[in-house]
Amino acid sequence: MTRILATPAAWPRLLLARAAAAEPTDLTAAVRDGAFVALRSAIRELGPTATIATLADSGLRGRGGAAFPTAEKWRIAAEQPADRRFVVVNAYGADPASATDRALLERDPYAVVEGAAIAAFAVGAEEAIVAVRAEATEARNALERAVAAAEAAGYLGPDVLDSGLTIRVRVAPVTGAYMLGEETVLLKALEGKRGQPEQRPPYPAVRGLFGAPTVVNNAATIALVPWILRNGPTAFTGLGDPTVPGTWLVALRGPVGEGVAEVPTGISLRELVDLAGGVGPGRSVKAILVGGPSGGLLPPDLLDTPYLPAALRAAGAHVGSGAVVIADERSCVVDLARLLTGYCSAEACGKTIPCRIGTRRLFEIAERIATGRPRPTDLELAGDLAADMVASALCDHERLATLPLTSALRYFRTELDDHILRSSCPAGVCRPIAVAAGRGS
Amino acid sequence: MTKPPGLGIVEGLALTLRRFFAPKATIRYPEVPADVPHRFRGRLQLLYDEYGTLKCETCFQCAQACPVECIDMGGFDTRGRYHVHWGPPETYAERREESALRRSGRTVPDPAYEHWTPIDPAPLEAILEAHEYDPARLLEILEATQAAYGYLPVAALRRISQATGAWYAMIYGTASYYRQFRFAPPGDSAGDAADADSSGGAAARRPSEDAYLAALATALGGRGVGQP
Repeated sequence: MTRILATPAAWPRLLLARAAAAEPTDLTAAVRDGAFVALRSAIRELGPTATIATLADSGLRGRGGAAFPTAEKWRIAAEQPADRRFVVVNAYGADPASATDRALLERDPYAVVEGAAIAAFAVGAEEAIVAVRAEATEARNALERAVAAAEAAGYLGPDVLDSGLTIRVRVAPVTGAYMLGEETVLLKALEGKRGQPEQRPPYPAVRGLFGAPTVVNNAATIALVPWILRNGPTAFTGLGDPTVPGTWLVALRGPVGEGVAEVPTGISLRELVDLAGGVGPGRSVKAILVGGPSGGLLPPDLLDTPYLPAALRAAGAHVGSGAVVIADERSCVVDLARLLTGYCSAEACGKTIPCRIGTRRLFEIAERIATGRPRPTDLELAGDLAADMVASALCDHERLATLPLTSALRYFRTELDDHILRSSCPAGVCRPIAVAAGRGS
Repeated sequence: MTKPPGLGIVEGLALTLRRFFAPKATIRYPEVPADVPHRFRGRLQLLYDEYGTLKCETCFQCAQACPVECIDMGGFDTRGRYHVHWGPPETYAERREESALRRSGRTVPDPAYEHWTPIDPAPLEAILEAHEYDPARLLEILEATQAAYGYLPVAALRRISQATGAWYAMIYGTASYYRQFRFAPPGDSAGDAADADSSGGAAARRPSEDAYLAALATALGGRGVGQP
């Protein structure tokens, strides 16, 4: 099971409220804790329009990284003329270093199941598909058990809560590619096709799975919906930062500790570092990787940046997978940037040329710098190439894959210069440099 | 009914006269460039790089993207292992008769797929039947096929294509995209290291992810997951 980090008791617990439950898939215990109250009130009292309006009042925004208003997405999908609609919950958790989706499904599968059912009811879909990572057996089993129990108890199925409505929740285990975290790629996988992104617009809310209007939401977004309907939109708006109210799930990883934590939005990076136990006595933070493999490397001066999409984008990082990795001075930023760019390049789906070839070239540049064979034009080339890739990108992977290297260029220029001009790695990680420069042992 | 004498020659001359004054179809080519549709790309040709290797990665994207489905491919993949051959069914004479055979209610022979290592078709037929020959459930079909045969034999892919109606380019493209699929039996010496690595049963292991996590741990100073 994924490790949950202890957070101050005063912090709101929305997603991991039932983290301490002995058996998270026990339906009776979950119902005692308030599960399916929101689904009942949505079906019996609110109706689809008022459910979406309640969400709009709460200001809930997507937790998948783009922070798109959830109610707006649902409204667009509900308004499309179509004979069938779908709800897809993205619980794939593409980033191997981030277990937020996994933690959520393991600890509170009913929140996701109930949220998916509410979403299906609100947009008029009969089927909600929860895409889960096939290797995450514990999360997958918890979810499958939860769906089966809810169906047996009449919360899902052909006659939901005696309303005559059909709402089915299907668990779709997917695996095999990092790109499945991207919404259009995930839809392709569910259609049984090669996972390559599609041009947007039309957005999936207009034309998604099998050409039908499809709401694609992150698992954490969906899991927040029942809480909002239970406690009212005003209670939610008061939590965290006003621009993106509520809480996040973050996967923290530092030299001292690692684990998943639920934090209010708008918390600063410094607080996240402290939550992960800091960097240990006698050491200092050198860089914080925010956003997973395609995240940005931020310097310690930016530790007071709030963990919010707009602020992070301005700083050259993104919320992304919710992963925050803390590196102390024993790590080399150039080596990290090389590693991350290499991973993004290896995982590129190959649909567009700027991404397929651009990420590869960026990786080669980073590799040249790390191994002490840089060309004089390399830094300029990296900047130009990254700008071109961002300008011509089809999906966010392509746009964001440039971040590790560009953020290293932006904030860690002295360390890059040490590698390029002085052929030395201050952290002593990039060993072949001295050898390449002809003065190694 | 016969024409009055002389009318034939008058008709012929009239045509000559009309054509004589009509606009000319001849293009004075080098001086006047031909007017071709702006998306015309000329003859399809595969390029070689400076080392003399084909630049084509046989990734099937062109075959999948071609709006008129005119692109056909054949040969071996870039590792020289798997014989790939597909294209729109109507290109092949032997496939052109399929619809006729199907209409007459007879089984449709597919000699093309019998050329590869023969497989016992019974498990595959059961899998296809269980998935209702639905191309939208291709990933499930492929996973079940790999579980039954240990890998995805070409003959099985051909049969899936034939039975579901999904295009071979689509099936091969999909199967080669997701990491859990392999095209050679586990432990086959022709399979590369990554293939051999990923032979750990139905639950797909992700070599690149493991490598990424290991490298991330190294980059962070040799501290693995959970070790301070």
